[in-house]
Amino acid sequence: MDNMLHSLALAYRNIKRAPLPYLLTVLILSLGLGMFFSNATLYYWLNHDPLPQKSQTLFYPQINTTMQPCDSCNEPLRVLSYLDVAKLSRSDIPSAQAAMFQSAGYARLPAKANQTPMPVSLRVTQRDFFTLFNVPFLHGERWVDDSARRELILSKATAERLFGRSTVVGETLQLGNELFSIIAVLDDWTMLPRLYDVANGLGASASADIYLPWETAYDLGIKSNTTTMSRDSRNYNENFAVNGREGDFYQAQFWVQLDTPAQVDAYKTFMQQLVQSEKEAGRHPRPEANRLTNILDITEHFNARNRQLDAFALVSLLFLLVCLFNASHLALNRYLASQYEFGLRRALGASRAQLQQLVLADVMVSSALAFALSLLVASGAMALISTLLPATRSLTQWSPQMLLAMLATAFAASYLVTLYPALRASFGSLNRQLK
Amino acid sequence: MSLSLLIKSLLQRKVITALLLVQLTLTLALLSNSVLLSQQAYQLSNQPTGLQLDTTLAIELKPTDDNLLAHPALGELIGRQLTALRQIPGVRAAAFSNQTPLIFGGMNGNVYIEGKEDTTNIDMVPYNFAEAELFDTLQMTLLHGRWLTGEDKNSGNVVLTEKLATKLFGQSQLALGQLTSAGTVVGVVADMMYQRFASDQYYAVFFNSDLGRADYGYRLLLQVDKAAVSAVRDQVSGVLRDVEPEIDIRNIVSLHQLHRDVFEQERGLAILLSVLSALMLLVAMISAYSHALFHGVQQQNEIGIKRALGASKSRILLEVFSESWLTTSLGAVLGLMVSYLLQQQLAQVISLPPLSFWLPVSAALLLLLCVTVATWYPAAIATRVSPATATKAL
Repeated sequence: MDNMLHSLALAYRNIKRAPLPYLLTVLILSLGLGMFFSNATLYYWLNHDPLPQKSQTLFYPQINTTMQPCDSCNEPLRVLSYLDVAKLSRSDIPSAQAAMFQSAGYARLPAKANQTPMPVSLRVTQRDFFTLFNVPFLHGERWVDDSARRELILSKATAERLFGRSTVVGETLQLGNELFSIIAVLDDWTMLPRLYDVANGLGASASADIYLPWETAYDLGIKSNTTTMSRDSRNYNENFAVNGREGDFYQAQFWVQLDTPAQVDAYKTFMQQLVQSEKEAGRHPRPEANRLTNILDITEHFNARNRQLDAFALVSLLFLLVCLFNASHLALNRYLASQYEFGLRRALGASRAQLQQLVLADVMVSSALAFALSLLVASGAMALISTLLPATRSLTQWSPQMLLAMLATAFAASYLVTLYPALRASFGSLNRQLK
Repeated sequence: MSLSLLIKSLLQRKVITALLLVQLTLTLALLSNSVLLSQQAYQLSNQPTGLQLDTTLAIELKPTDDNLLAHPALGELIGRQLTALRQIPGVRAAAFSNQTPLIFGGMNGNVYIEGKEDTTNIDMVPYNFAEAELFDTLQMTLLHGRWLTGEDKNSGNVVLTEKLATKLFGQSQLALGQLTSAGTVVGVVADMMYQRFASDQYYAVFFNSDLGRADYGYRLLLQVDKAAVSAVRDQVSGVLRDVEPEIDIRNIVSLHQLHRDVFEQERGLAILLSVLSALMLLVAMISAYSHALFHGVQQQNEIGIKRALGASKSRILLEVFSESWLTTSLGAVLGLMVSYLLQQQLAQVISLPPLSFWLPVSAALLLLLCVTVATWYPAAIATRVSPATATKAL
C-alpha cells in the first residue's frame, strides 16, 4: 500500500513537472472516450434486451392473408387484421398471446365534464399483454377475459395526473364520450426499447397512458393512430364494429409466448396448417409466407434500425481509435523525455516490476482524470445529440453498471496508450537511457 | 533539407511516425466522409418544394367530443372554423385538408390507369381532400385543365401533380380526361413536395369529397401575409376555441418548421459529424504541435550546430515545417484510400453518394493548413536556438 501511495505521489510529481504534455494526453483521451461513451449509451439502450429473462420466448407471427391475388407478393403485411388475430388466437400452443395497437383519445373526469379533456395515448390490447411483457400492477388486476368490457387499466403517472393519486381502482373515467370504470393501476414501468412497437418506429417512445380492451375498441370504432391499411372497398368510417372485424382492415400487432423449442416448432406447424386450410377455403390467394420472428430480431425484421445512429457509432468508434493513437503518440513522447529518470532508477536497482508499478500509478491517475473529463464530454455530446435527434431523448440515462463499464474502458484505454511507451522505458538499453 | 534526409529522420522514429500516420490517415478519412454526409444533408434540405414555406401555416386539430368527429357535424364545424380564420387580419386564404404537405403518414393509396393496373400501378401516393380554396392556400400553379370546384364534390374528379401525371401518361397534358383508379383527371398542377417517403416526394392526388370521420384529426392551412405570420399564429388558438371549445389544437406550425423537421435526421447527423470533424482537426493540431515541440527540444543540439554552420532562421523554420508537411502528405495519401473504404462501409449502413475525388483532396489541404498552424509555435521556438548551443554539444 505504501509503495502504491509512493508511486501515486511520484506520478503526481511527474504531472506537475510537465503538466502540458500530460494534460494534452488526458484531453485527447477524454475527447475520444467521451464521444464513444455518448454513442455507446444510445446504442446500448437501442439494442439491449429489455426482457432478458423471457425475450427468447416472445414471437411475432405473420401470415400472408391479403385477399387481393398477387403471385409475386411474398412478404406478409407488417400488421394483421382482426380476422388474422382471431385465426391465430385459436391455437392453444402459446402460453400467452395478445393482439394490440396504439391509439389516442381524450380523458376527463365525469364529475368535471366542463374541464378541458386530457390527450392520452392508448394501448388497445388483450389481457395477456401484461403477462407477455412482465408489466407490474400497483393496484387491481388485469381483465378477467378478452371479451368487450368498459374497463380501463391506467399507468401510475396517468392516475396521478387525472386524480392526483394512484388508488383509483373503482373510479369512473370518461374516454371520448364513453364512461369506463378503472380496474387496475400499473406500477412504474418502462420497456426500453419498446420492441413490441418497433414496426411503427416507436421503439424509443413512452409507454401508453391507458390500456383499453381489444374488443371494446372495435365496438367503439377506435382505430390505430399508427399503421392502418385497408385492402377492400368497405367504408371503415361507418359501422366499424362490423366492418373492422370482417373486412381487410390491417392495424394489429400480435405477440405470442412460446416457452420451448418444441412449442416454436408446433406453432410453425399450426401456422402452416392454418394457411393450408385457408387456401382450401379460397381465403388465402397469395403465396404462403409465414413468418415467426423472435422479439430480439424484430427491429432488423422490420428494417427499423436507426441507421443514422449506426453510422455515427461507426464514426465515433474510429474517432476513439484516432484519439488512442494520438494519446499513445503523446505518451511515447512523454516517456521518451523521462527515459533518463527511468534509466537512473534501473541503475540504482529498481526491478522492472517496480517500474511497472510506477507506470500503473501513472495510468491510474490519468484514467481517473480521463474518466471524469470524458463523462463531461459525453454529457455534452448526449445533450447535443438529444437536441439534434429528438427521438433519442429517452436513451440518455446511465446505470451504475454502465458507469462501471465506462470506468473499466477508461482504465483499459489509458493502460493501452501507455503500454508501449512503458515497455520501451522499462526494457530499453540502460546505457542509452543513461546517456 | 533534402527529401531523403527527411525520410531518414522519420525512419529513425519509426513507431512515432507510424502512430502519426495512422492518426492522420483516419482523420482524413473521417473528415472526407463527414463533409460528404453534411453535403448530402444540405442538398436534401435544399430541394425545391413548390411551397411557400414561410407564409403557409398548418394547424393540426381534432375534436375532443365524439359527436363532432363524423360527417355532417364535422363538415359544419370545419366550415365555421375556416370562416372565423379568414377574418383574422393578414390571412389571405384558408382551406382544410386531411394531411399537411411534407409530413409523412396520412392517407396513401395506389394509383393506376383504369384497365392497365399491371403496367401502370404506383404504390404509396398521398390522397388529399381538396376544396376550391386549397389552390390559393398552397399557392399552386395550374399547368393543364382546371382546379377543383364545389361542383366536383363527391364527383370522382381528381387533380394530379405534374410528376405523377407524367409518370402515368408519359406527358402531363395527356392526363386530362383520362380515367385512373383515383378518378377522372380534370387538371394538373405544378409539383409540390408532399410526402418524402411516398413513392416519390412530388406525387399527390387531390379530390373534393366530404371528410367522413376525423379519427386521425384534420388540418387547416392558412396562407398569410409575410409580415403577419407571427401575429396570425398567436391568434389562431383563441379564434378556434371561440368557434368550438371541444377541440384539441395539437400543433400550429409554419411549413418552414415542418420542412426542418422532415430533414431533422439528416441535418442532425450532419451537424454531429461536423462537430466530430472539428474535434478531429483539433486532435490533429494538438498532435502536430506536441510532436514538433518534443522533437524541437530533442534536436536542440542538432539545430544549434546547423545554426553555427550558417543555417538561417528561415531555413530552420522550413526544416521543421517540411517534416510536418511530409508526414501530413503521407497520411493524406493513405487517407485518400481509406476515405473510399470508409465511404463503402458507411454506404452499407445509410444512403450515401459516391465520394468525389476533390473532397478528400480538399480535406487534405485543410488538414495541412491546420497542421501548419499548429506547428508554427514549436517551429518558431526552434529558430530561437542559439548557435552557442552547438558548443554545449561538443
